[in-house]
Amino acid sequence: MMNYSITALFWLATATLLLGLWKRTKLWRAGQPAEFAWLNLLAIPKRYFVDLHHVVAREPFIARTHVATAGGAVAALGLVAINYGLMLYCAALNWAILAATAIMLIGVFFVWLRRRNAPARLSRGAWSRLPYSLAAFALGLLIVNLPVTVLSAGVAVFALLLLLVGSAELALGIGLGGPMKHAIAGLLHLAFHPRQERFSGKLSTALMTLDLTNQEYGINKPSDFKWNQLLGFDACVQCGKCEAACPAFAAGQPLNPKKLIQDLVLGLSNDEKSGKTDANFAGSPYPGLPIGEHSGSMHAPIVPSLIEAETLWSCTTCRACVQECPMLIEHVDAIVGLRRNLTLTQGAAPGKAPQTLENLRQTATVGGYDRNARYHWAVDLDVKTIQPNMPVDLLLVAGEGAFDMRYQRTLRALVKLLKAAKMDFAVMGALERDTGDTARRLGDEATFQSLAKQNIDTFNSLTFKRIVTADPHVMHSLKNEYPALGGNYEVLHHTTLLAQLASSGQLKLGKSAETRKLTYHDPCYLGRYNGETDAPRDLLKAIGLQVNEMERSGLRGRCCGGGGGAPLTDIPGKQRIPDIRIQDARNIGAELVAVGCPQCTSMLEGVVRNRPDVLDIAELVASVMEHAS
Amino acid sequence: MRYPNLFSPFTLNKLTLRNRIVSTAHAEVYAEQGGLPGERYIRYYEEKAKGGLGLAICGGSSPVSIDSPQGWWKSVNLSTDKIIEPLSNLAEAMHRHGAKIMIQATHMGRRSAYYGEHWPHLVTPSGVREPVHRGNAKTIEAEEIRRIIKDFALAAKRVQAAGMDGIEISAAHQHLIDQFWSPRSNFRTDEFGGSLANRMRFGVEVLTAVREAVGADFCVGMRMCGDEFHEDGLDHETLKEIAQYMSETGLIDFISVVGSGADTHNTIANCMPPMALPPEPFVHLAAGIKSVIKIPLMHAQSIRDATQAERILENCWVDLVGMTRAHLADPHLVTKIRDGREDEIKQCVGANYCIDRQYLGQDVLCIQNAATSREATMPHIIVKTTGKKRKVVVIGAGPAGLEAARVSAERGHDVVLFERNMSVGGQVNLASKVPQREQMAGIIRWFDMETKRLGIDRRFGVAADSAMILAEKPDIVVLATGGSSHMHQVPAWGVAEGLAVSSWDILSERVAPGKNVLIYDSMSTHAGFGTADFIASRGNNVELVTPDVKVADDVGGTTFPIFYRRLYALGIIPTPNYWLDRVYAEGDKKIAVIRNEYTEELEERAVDQVVIENGTTPNDELYWALKEQSANHGQTDINTLFASEAQPALSMPLKEGEFLLYRVGDCISMHNIHGAIYDALRLCKDF
Repeated sequence: MMNYSITALFWLATATLLLGLWKRTKLWRAGQPAEFAWLNLLAIPKRYFVDLHHVVAREPFIARTHVATAGGAVAALGLVAINYGLMLYCAALNWAILAATAIMLIGVFFVWLRRRNAPARLSRGAWSRLPYSLAAFALGLLIVNLPVTVLSAGVAVFALLLLLVGSAELALGIGLGGPMKHAIAGLLHLAFHPRQERFSGKLSTALMTLDLTNQEYGINKPSDFKWNQLLGFDACVQCGKCEAACPAFAAGQPLNPKKLIQDLVLGLSNDEKSGKTDANFAGSPYPGLPIGEHSGSMHAPIVPSLIEAETLWSCTTCRACVQECPMLIEHVDAIVGLRRNLTLTQGAAPGKAPQTLENLRQTATVGGYDRNARYHWAVDLDVKTIQPNMPVDLLLVAGEGAFDMRYQRTLRALVKLLKAAKMDFAVMGALERDTGDTARRLGDEATFQSLAKQNIDTFNSLTFKRIVTADPHVMHSLKNEYPALGGNYEVLHHTTLLAQLASSGQLKLGKSAETRKLTYHDPCYLGRYNGETDAPRDLLKAIGLQVNEMERSGLRGRCCGGGGGAPLTDIPGKQRIPDIRIQDARNIGAELVAVGCPQCTSMLEGVVRNRPDVLDIAELVASVMEHAS
Repeated sequence: MRYPNLFSPFTLNKLTLRNRIVSTAHAEVYAEQGGLPGERYIRYYEEKAKGGLGLAICGGSSPVSIDSPQGWWKSVNLSTDKIIEPLSNLAEAMHRHGAKIMIQATHMGRRSAYYGEHWPHLVTPSGVREPVHRGNAKTIEAEEIRRIIKDFALAAKRVQAAGMDGIEISAAHQHLIDQFWSPRSNFRTDEFGGSLANRMRFGVEVLTAVREAVGADFCVGMRMCGDEFHEDGLDHETLKEIAQYMSETGLIDFISVVGSGADTHNTIANCMPPMALPPEPFVHLAAGIKSVIKIPLMHAQSIRDATQAERILENCWVDLVGMTRAHLADPHLVTKIRDGREDEIKQCVGANYCIDRQYLGQDVLCIQNAATSREATMPHIIVKTTGKKRKVVVIGAGPAGLEAARVSAERGHDVVLFERNMSVGGQVNLASKVPQREQMAGIIRWFDMETKRLGIDRRFGVAADSAMILAEKPDIVVLATGGSSHMHQVPAWGVAEGLAVSSWDILSERVAPGKNVLIYDSMSTHAGFGTADFIASRGNNVELVTPDVKVADDVGGTTFPIFYRRLYALGIIPTPNYWLDRVYAEGDKKIAVIRNEYTEELEERAVDQVVIENGTTPNDELYWALKEQSANHGQTDINTLFASEAQPALSMPLKEGEFLLYRVGDCISMHNIHGAIYDALRLCKDF
């Protein structure tokens, strides 16, 4: 009797789940087409146990908890499927189910423990019932599998009820959007992730290229996302790791990446009349914006009814959220996709962004400068300016920072070092146009593509082997985003090149006389976007300086606030992002912050004194040369 | 982009300047025997190149002919081939740091001293004497004109051969070319006089010969005046005509403009505008000339600040800004502007110590920077010591003490600075109370900011005694306690009886000025006249009595005219050649008894107030209190000091509680601001 009940319950639950999945799939398929291959499903185990686990394992407590809970549950379900689903009713398998449910129960206990003292980033609401519903499932299954021949009727009914409640949580999640949706959507997201390169050990940080001739103007409504992006949003477990990492959220600007993803999940609704409101969202709101006033549906414009524009413009595109997300969700792609639509169809970028985009269109510089002035700082340095038919090994692309007298110090130091290493190099002079990085982050794909194509034409007319730049944003554009438009170059950050030259002995370095306590700030576009965290540290070490690490460094470094056009859109918050970063430096007693990016330099130097001094690594290394000579 | 104009490169002929900032030609008085630049000369300019400037034009008034004497003021001598080698060393040094270098070439005509070297008979268009230099001169003859034109061409060839970047021909300050231009000095009736075209002939022929000598690609400029400020001289409109004509000859690549003639004592004071004049007083003359010429224009005269310079460029008044005295005060000016360290710039205040020395034939020195022109021995950038970190206690925050504290802190030592008053500055605070000399305070402003930036422990309102000093456990004590008004030299002045007060009493406003005041100034420096000006400006009657040959006799050629303008405007009565014998009271009047230096005759003045300026007497109580306890008995070894070497006592091992004691500035004996700062720099740079 009991066995048959369980079999019935199993198939009922399975049918319910499949029905729910079918319903949810219909919603995902409202999105735009994307590449699809059934074979990807085979990749799930590796992606789960390697790529996903790599992120989750950063927090060992919750990793172990999840292994016990989910591992126990999956094992128990598999065994139930065999033993009850196939109606084998084998006693030995009961023992195995018992063991699996016991492990799951232990895991659930720790889920419960954690929920008792949950960090603010975790969502409450439906997620708070999870320890209980999962416990009900495990306990119910445990009881019905106990090796006793007869359970009292009361206990049996109680156990079946527990099992029913627990099974409902598992089976209804995907269809009704409950917490357990994440299990199914998460696994499918791993299979059909929009950035498949992520699973081949490569960084995948370039923004997708819009086909403007095909009138692709970014995301206006949820159905404008690709179907696998919509699937990705459904994978969110509302753990809030993104929220805790987000610099804009910390600064009190109206952005919370977790809420943003949940808002997009709300958009997965065909209820066109009222849409779904965010009233049930049980996590931290966008700072300064009340909950319950926004709603959306699949074919309704997202901005502003579902998400306010200022939320999108608060993002620095630092990718800290993406870096932290255990479900490998791509928040920045979503934000830039939405920005693109605002900028391309409405010209609605705020603050100084429209002026900047106009400058870029008219002058090919961010600041609206005369391009001929870009290398004025080099006029007394005896630096070659590249021309067609003048081959050089190394092309120095200075970027917008070359117009800034502060950054010119870095560039002069870099030139001095390249000369000391006897490099054959030249600058671009008036041929250089802005890479279009800022335009692209501000959603102006058209200006980006136009600038990129002009630059690619220029590069194609020149002869050089490699490009070096001291600006990670320039590096990211040229190295990661130009290939999609036909420009393929070997691009080095100056610290990478200098570290190579130093280790090969081509650049002979002495020891620095610097005595101030030093830390290094990882630029997001160098670290997270390009994976380079060692070269700057190696260089500092090579000149005898010890790097004292701040809270959040390397690939998990905290943003300076300067990326993604955020200083231009300038959405107000409670404090400024660079103030937070400088506080990190103060907290470890640093008197000097080494940097490798003009944006970071100007953002961090923009913090009022007293604060640590800010020097580019090139300046620190060049000062050693002065001592040596 | 900060300073988009200041830092935009500029092209003169084939030459690219890295920025718009120029050190224009000035007389340095550094050349060695025979008028050849040596190490001092080259390092002086090289420091500016290191400091980032675009172009320096050296050798103000470097003569091309041997009848234009240079020996008496140690100018560069372009009349000999021997000049090529030192100039090429100079050019090489400048180019090493990315700067360009030109030299000014001229013939001074009557504007010199005939006894200067070969006792030549000076030449001038019409034999009219020049008053400032007592320049008696003969009327120049056609043969001499031909010779001098040839000399200009030869000099230009030498400059080019040395690898210099260009040459500037001077037609300013009433040199020979503008002696021809000016109706004040040219009364000729031949082809070189009369019409403007005739008066310009000599200059045009000089420039033609120079251009022929150097070819089309070498940079040739001309410096000229924008208005002579004489009724019978060249006015602005005529000078515009000249400039336009010269620019259209195609012979020159730029024109540099200065305001004011310079052939009288009063006009000279305008040329290097002292602090009494407003900023950039003559930029309108430069802009006027720029409006009629098609070649670039350069202008200097009281452009001391980066934003000021940027504004002048932005308004398109000039193409290149001369910041010449600004570079004397801080040769690293440009780098500091460029690197966002404007607050660290030692800014020229227009005290004109530099030019006032030059007019006496003394080497040019900066009142506030003792390293300028002493680059071989005195550092502009003080590097941290690699030796022991010491505790340095400095007493007194006047210029000497501030420099001692600053230099010691830059060396990396732990510095405590005691000051009796509530602020830094010492006697300079009094000097800046004088009307039209408020900018003296700028000297102190820089020290104030630097000593703050360096984190020096500054303790104000503390009259340190020896116990307090020793409680600091110092390794070195530097006394910079300055001086006090020297009032007790002659008891008969009645200071003790209250019959006379000091200039300090007046300037510090401790004592209100009287209605009828006799000022006795035994020093003839800025303080005495300044006190007279201070009192007279408040509507009182002042007689200024001095035993010197004239009042304010020791204030220099560009400063005394400013004082004299005020003397006559305010009705101050100058009474030189009298000593003050005694003062006595009669009723509510003070009777001052003065004695003529030359006749010994006594005169009496009945006044409300007698004010005495008699310099300072050292504040040396602390010295005597500490001398015997100090390890070096307070002695500064002058052999090593004068050789710019470290004091031998610094290498002495000190026992617990032992310290070294040094003194700098007026607390030894009365010097001036430069002397005080130099004392401190040369002593403390090796701490």
